[in-house]
Amino acid sequence: VKLRGTIVFAAGVLAAMGAGWAGFPRVVYQTYTQPVDFSHQVHADKAGSKCDDCHAFRADGSFAGVPTLDKCAGCHAAAMGSTVAEKNFIERFVTPGREPQWLVYARQPENVYFSHITHVKRGNLKCQQCHGGQGTSNTLPPYQQDRISGYSRDIWGHAGRPAMTMDACVACHRQSHLEHSCLDCHK
Amino acid sequence: MSLSQMTNSRRDIFKFAGGAVAGALFTPAPWRLITDTALWSENWPGIPRPARGEIRFKFTNCALCPAGCAVRARCVGEQPVSLAGVRGGLCPFGLSAHHLPYHPARLKQGPILEATAAVFQGAGKRAPNGIAVLDLNPGRTVSWTYRRAMASLKGLYLAPESQPLAYDLSAAKTVLSIGAPLLDGWGTPANVLAARPNFRLIQAEAVESRTAMLADQWIQLAPGTESAFAQSIPSLPYAKDLSLVLGDAPEIPEINRQLGAYGKTVFARPEAPVPEAWSKNAAAVTELAGVPDHSISVLLIDESSAVSYIPWHRIQRKLVRENPLVVTFATTRGGYARYAQYALPTAVYPEVLDDIAPAVDCIHPTFRIAVPLVPPPAGVVNPADFVSALAGLPASNSLRERADAVHHTTQGTVLTYADNKETPLKDLTADAFWKSLNDGTRWDRPPGLSIPSTVSACQPAAGRPSSPEPPESPADLPLIAIREPYTPALVSPLMTKLYQESGLRLAPNRVALNPRDARAANLSNGARATLQTRIGKCSVEVTVDPAVPPGAVQVGCSPGIQDVCGPSSRAKVVSA
Repeated sequence: VKLRGTIVFAAGVLAAMGAGWAGFPRVVYQTYTQPVDFSHQVHADKAGSKCDDCHAFRADGSFAGVPTLDKCAGCHAAAMGSTVAEKNFIERFVTPGREPQWLVYARQPENVYFSHITHVKRGNLKCQQCHGGQGTSNTLPPYQQDRISGYSRDIWGHAGRPAMTMDACVACHRQSHLEHSCLDCHK
Repeated sequence: MSLSQMTNSRRDIFKFAGGAVAGALFTPAPWRLITDTALWSENWPGIPRPARGEIRFKFTNCALCPAGCAVRARCVGEQPVSLAGVRGGLCPFGLSAHHLPYHPARLKQGPILEATAAVFQGAGKRAPNGIAVLDLNPGRTVSWTYRRAMASLKGLYLAPESQPLAYDLSAAKTVLSIGAPLLDGWGTPANVLAARPNFRLIQAEAVESRTAMLADQWIQLAPGTESAFAQSIPSLPYAKDLSLVLGDAPEIPEINRQLGAYGKTVFARPEAPVPEAWSKNAAAVTELAGVPDHSISVLLIDESSAVSYIPWHRIQRKLVRENPLVVTFATTRGGYARYAQYALPTAVYPEVLDDIAPAVDCIHPTFRIAVPLVPPPAGVVNPADFVSALAGLPASNSLRERADAVHHTTQGTVLTYADNKETPLKDLTADAFWKSLNDGTRWDRPPGLSIPSTVSACQPAAGRPSSPEPPESPADLPLIAIREPYTPALVSPLMTKLYQESGLRLAPNRVALNPRDARAANLSNGARATLQTRIGKCSVEVTVDPAVPPGAVQVGCSPGIQDVCGPSSRAKVVSA
């Protein structure tokens, strides 16, 4: 009877762990695809683009983030290659002048202030230190949105990409022997 | 035990559940749920979110008072997030003015249709001169619209002053201020501070105000003796050195005349040019005190950008006894909306498109406009359009017409705030001038080209008809009121820091008493009390302050207090 009880308890443990590790992520994350099948690799290799060619700083030092359609249309007013992805992009967005609704993997809570220019220009951080290999990927990964919090799964570090959580920020500052306080980010 | 004997008991279910709970602790699920719930709670509806977008700067003029300070607005996208001064600072009210559209006490809805019907019906029925507009920020383009409308309707255009004066501090060597808040919102801060090193300031008043603290000399007067002191000025040893006397005492215009200040430091307040057709068809500017009692049957009050307040009992005295109709254009319910039949909401700065009235310390004509930084909400009324429609004036862009009239002079210069560059007006086309005004500029007519009106144009007003007021009894009302400088009707809630923490200003609903008077009235700091005068009474909160002289009560400037208590009024404060 004692063995039987242990087996039943262990079955409960295993069932919960299975559900928690395998089932829970499927339930809590909703998967979306990006509006455009975009290849960073093609732009970096064939067009020779650098990160800040498209993800630029404005004159006032603020970070422009994802480029707007104007920036894309500067090169892709007409097709430059023969890929289906480019053809679709031009037909669906450039020609009708419709802004793609990009899903931003790195979107942070509204109560967080992050200065790109401080980290890039003063801290000399490389883009991939926070964004991983995004800049060399051939396809954009699916955007997995937490159904409860509304944030991307990538914030927590996912599929080999580094985490962009408060703990990660603090750990990096500690490792670099930089001072940090609450008001640095939570202004 | 065979398999057939292994039936699931209730005990097994509990064991399985216990195992599941224990196992769940080793999965990310519970910890993820805790974090997610916390993050979800950050995005509940109603939690403010900072604006995102490109950071740009827009330039305009502050419309909170006639100083009309140049403003640089930092905008994220289209949303202004901070205001700063250009060529000089802004006052705390101006610095926080971008909060005003979201002020919780702001009036956003009103019975517009009912008021329109009532006013149109009333204006048609009433006798000539029975309709009037009271403009509490005269000197603007909209003021001329009111004057033209009243001329058309044979009504009255009322303003706090019929002959406002302008003072040239830069030409003064010694200034005697009798209670005027010269360094605390009296004029254009940048101009006053620029002129300050060149004149000696003697401040005479009962309390050591902020101006008194910064003056070269503070003469402490006994409360209520301002007029007596003003009468004694010619016999003062330094009278011959005075260039200018400022204050509210009725004797001051005559003293300035004796000093020869008119034409040197005192001028008629100049206005920017207006189209000729306007000045030919405009009602005269009439002071409220000059209107016969019980003669106004329809009164429209523009308090949307008021820079002064007239106690209600003085207005009420001018209204007909039976069924007067009062409509106020207001931004809050705190002013005349308490008495009017209809209170119609208006846009607030920085939603308004309006020009700025001439400043008290500017002796040369200027023209500058406040452009909207955020759109006004639906449902607000434009008072100029309302009054124009009432008079049947053709719809027009009167600000553009006035800008064209200014441009027609081809005189003066245009100062661009963005690059601090001055351009002669004659070098601009009318369209370019209008565009520059909307982008943040001011037109100034330089001193060499303007001829300010001199003494003949600014004689003090003659005796005015006024009803006798009941005598005040020192026995019943033992305190003399000292009033704080005027405060706009709407100020940012952040300004409570000034009121409550720093003690820099008396909150509008507060009175300050000397500890001796507070003890006599059995009042403690923060107590609720009633301020009583011969006019009436209102509820106030008490601040006990040893800086207030015994026998005086320093009063805030809420409309409720101003309705019952003017400067130097006798008053009493009793426990509520």
